[in-house]
Amino acid sequence: MKKIISLALTAFLTLSLVACGSNTNNGANTTPGNSATPTPTNATEPAETQVLKFAALETAYGADMWKKVAAGFENANPNVKIETTIDKNLEDVIGPSMKSGDFPDVILISVGQPKGMTETFVKDNNVLDLTDVLSMTVPGESVTVKDKIIPGFTDTSITNPYGDGKTHLMPMFYSPTGLFFNAGLFEQKGWTVPTTWDEMWALGDKAKAEGIALFAYPTTGYFDSLFYALLNEVGGPEFFGKAMSYTEGVWQTPEATQAFDIISKLASYTEQTVPANANKDNFVKNQQLILDNKALFMPNGTWIVGEMGSAPRAEGFKWGFTSLPAVTDGGDRYSYTFFEQIWVPAKAENPDLAKQFIAYLYSDEAAAIFAEAGAIQPIKGLSDKLEGDNKLFYSIYDNGTKAAMGAFATTDPVEGVSISDTVFGTVDSLVTKAKTQQQWVEAITKASDSLRGALK
Amino acid sequence: MDIKKGQRRFIFFCLTPAVMLFIIFLIVPTINVFRMSTYKWGGYTDEKTFVGLQNFTKLFQSEKFYQAFQNSLLLIVVVSVITFALALVFASILSREKLKGQNLLRIIFYIPNILSVVVISAIFSAIYDPNSGLLNAILNLFRGSESAPTLWLGDQKIVIFSLSGAMIWQAIGYYMVMYMASMANVPESLYESAELEGAGRMEKFFSITIPLIWTNIRTTLTFFIISTINMSFLFVVAMTEGGPDGSTEVFLSYMYKEAYTNSSYGYGMAIGVIVFLFSFALAAILNAVTSRDHLEY
Repeated sequence: MKKIISLALTAFLTLSLVACGSNTNNGANTTPGNSATPTPTNATEPAETQVLKFAALETAYGADMWKKVAAGFENANPNVKIETTIDKNLEDVIGPSMKSGDFPDVILISVGQPKGMTETFVKDNNVLDLTDVLSMTVPGESVTVKDKIIPGFTDTSITNPYGDGKTHLMPMFYSPTGLFFNAGLFEQKGWTVPTTWDEMWALGDKAKAEGIALFAYPTTGYFDSLFYALLNEVGGPEFFGKAMSYTEGVWQTPEATQAFDIISKLASYTEQTVPANANKDNFVKNQQLILDNKALFMPNGTWIVGEMGSAPRAEGFKWGFTSLPAVTDGGDRYSYTFFEQIWVPAKAENPDLAKQFIAYLYSDEAAAIFAEAGAIQPIKGLSDKLEGDNKLFYSIYDNGTKAAMGAFATTDPVEGVSISDTVFGTVDSLVTKAKTQQQWVEAITKASDSLRGALK
Repeated sequence: MDIKKGQRRFIFFCLTPAVMLFIIFLIVPTINVFRMSTYKWGGYTDEKTFVGLQNFTKLFQSEKFYQAFQNSLLLIVVVSVITFALALVFASILSREKLKGQNLLRIIFYIPNILSVVVISAIFSAIYDPNSGLLNAILNLFRGSESAPTLWLGDQKIVIFSLSGAMIWQAIGYYMVMYMASMANVPESLYESAELEGAGRMEKFFSITIPLIWTNIRTTLTFFIISTINMSFLFVVAMTEGGPDGSTEVFLSYMYKEAYTNSSYGYGMAIGVIVFLFSFALAAILNAVTSRDHLEY
């Protein structure tokens, strides 16, 4: 009996650790948003102050811009106080309190984060419909939010996850993604940037002869932008839409096969050490391969310049950026547009105030604060004011490159099935040759079949 | 009679807080894990759908779960056996042999145990680096620097063993100290008698040391199982994130991904239940297998 009790206690301990495991990092880093900001000078401050709880993931743009923007909104609305929670581990910080029913009013965190908070809220029908924000007048201006946002950004499968024409997630900062390279190296070698995949492979052979790999990637997660753009190239937006909505047989079409062939070939041209460092702690080593002239191209976003700002680099290094090569000579070239999303939980206490705050974020005043930190919003005319590297990056669409947006459609949770793990995570195995292209396609087809019936 | 009654009241008074804490922080969460494993739930809302044992049915049809199971089992066996063997050998050497700098060696062996998993992971990630890592540099002395680097954390066939290396390095010092404490209690006279009988070092080790610290060994073996299941999660998160391509996914990392990334909280809890039953069963088997008469000295 004693043995059974002791064994039971041992097992209880294990399970209790499992049960408590997720809550180890719940020290909320909540800071009053206006601690370093001027107090509103309006003498007729209403008696009742509304508190807006705002939570944002701290990204490469930093936290200060949010404090400035919060102060700007408070100045314009003297009866409002904004409590900001800005943290690099936002999901850990606000997750536990949300589980107990305490939700922020506004959250800025995008899909694709490690813990998938946004996806979970979307899957649970737990995000507020923000379609009416589009028709709101931007505070302090005479135009509506919709008039300011670049067309297309509020019509994607990310912003309209239920495909019902309603916008639940608002687009915030955007970044064209594509292939980054050392333009200085190309100049030194007299190489030209490939415009077709055939030219890409020819360049790969040329570089290999000099001990340089054609391709590297930080982690397999970066294949989302590359794969989405590629699907648009091989089959156009309609085919991309079918693939993203798990249409039956879509992965067996000639277009899909062409995309799979290209990715598999790219895997064979990938620097062989990349899978060993393709994780969140070592991915910078893979990015460093480009700066050290050990690999030519990597998929990334415009944040890479800041992220690798203090990293050592080869002599004469100069950032270069190009969209994906076309599959045929003269064919369409695409660059996937990554953008962050801001949204309101369905159980937010102040939904109306939350909408006003979001509308304010598209004002010229807020946009200027964001732009100062390098965060560019999809606001008409904003990219014209950019300078330096950002000018090069954001003008990619001016040279005939088409923009690809959207992602795999939202489904109810299907236990044990992750389409992003299946499609992108397998690339490591293609590089190490642990899996074949056929195994990859079979796994994608199986996952796609499982998710089709769970579409929202 | 009155004294006994008073004693009982005193014992009850002293035990109540501990029992309450035990119930609140151990029993209730455990029961809750069992309960949640029968629901389909995303984790953030009140909308839960009772699905009975459906989560378990799906679990046993999942290839990913079997891979996590296989990896966890492999780590338990490899880490336990090697850590156990090395800790015993080192403890025996440091307890029985007269070496210079014994105390310094004890400290050196114990240091990894006080380092954070994140630090150890960073150290081993550097050692395993395919281009600049110590391990490949040593190997290159024998195979030549022109040969393809070994991808310690990138090759699906060996990455799980690379993780084992870090875990063993971290654990040896702790168990070595535990065994040294037990060995210190073994009377020297037994070894002297054995020596007079002509016993060698190996004979003394297997005939005196091991039998007399057996109770301690049994206890630590149960610790190995529990700690390897938990520590493997931390090392996987810090070193590989379950990759490449899920090849280092273990029980708890798979549970974590399903619960928090794939919005399948109930399914994640079903994995938690399996971990509970697995560790319970393994501890029971180990107890039965290692059971032997208690020796006293």
